[in-house]
Amino acid sequence: MQTKPNPGFFKRNPPIEGEAEAIERAKNGDADAFSKLYALHKRRVYTLCLRMLGNVSEAEDMTQEAFLHLFRKLGSFRGESAFSTWLHRLTVNLVLMHLRKKGLNLVSLEETINPSEEDAPKRDFGSRDPQLAGSVDRVTLERAVASLPPGYRMVFVLHDVEGFEHNEIASMLECSTGNSKSQLHKARLKLRELLRQPEKLPPVAGLQEAAR
Amino acid sequence: MKDLSTANFDTMTAAEFEEYLPELFAMGGGRLSENPRFAVFFQTNPYCAALVSDLETIAEQARSLFEPVGDEEGLEPSDEVWSNIRSQLAVEGIETPPDGGKD
Repeated sequence: MQTKPNPGFFKRNPPIEGEAEAIERAKNGDADAFSKLYALHKRRVYTLCLRMLGNVSEAEDMTQEAFLHLFRKLGSFRGESAFSTWLHRLTVNLVLMHLRKKGLNLVSLEETINPSEEDAPKRDFGSRDPQLAGSVDRVTLERAVASLPPGYRMVFVLHDVEGFEHNEIASMLECSTGNSKSQLHKARLKLRELLRQPEKLPPVAGLQEAAR
Repeated sequence: MKDLSTANFDTMTAAEFEEYLPELFAMGGGRLSENPRFAVFFQTNPYCAALVSDLETIAEQARSLFEPVGDEEGLEPSDEVWSNIRSQLAVEGIETPPDGGKD
């Protein structure tokens, strides 16, 4: 039975036209509906993977895994959250599992997401720093995000881009909510530092160049 | 994390304010830069006001990254990804259309 959705879940991820019908059809094994769901969500899932992994080949592999997982687990989707939120959570968990398998399995992310002193934002609070000139353009921000140390990037993407709450991030990353808040703050400070000198940001293969 | 309930923002230093910032941003409820509770502090600490404004700009602009824009190659996975998904689903007994994934 479909649970009545909470309207609050859809502030960020409003339902997409044709999505609900495709979900129900796909649950009944309709192959065209699988294809429709892939078409609707492939770009957002892929860019999420790419931002988390910073590697096109791995991002494609994880996109593939995420959709295969989705199609196998679709029957358990009850509509209690927006479909895209559910799908993105599933994707994040798969990517994190992949990263743990790659070598983060011996210590918790609580320890490994803390970057070195060198990577940390400079503690220049109180000094008269040049302020960012108003808005930040999308392409420059994308490049700056790609330049963040992995731990900062992970929390920033999950919170500020994907819209997950600190308690959700803490659960995903196996860290405390305080750690998530602190990492996010440091990530934003580091981004401010990087965005003050955009000409020094290295070009990164993938989505931000294509978004020009 | 710092306890916000006992903090006096009218008298604290910039360094003390920094310690509260992660919690203040996590609190939500609109822009800190426009919150009257911090008006006096920002007036006496304009560099803190600039920092908060910048961090708010970064967080706001980050939301725009959620939705990919443009049709250029590079914003979506290659056709091979759908092809691999199809093959795997076929093994599991689900036949999908070859042109799946096209908008």
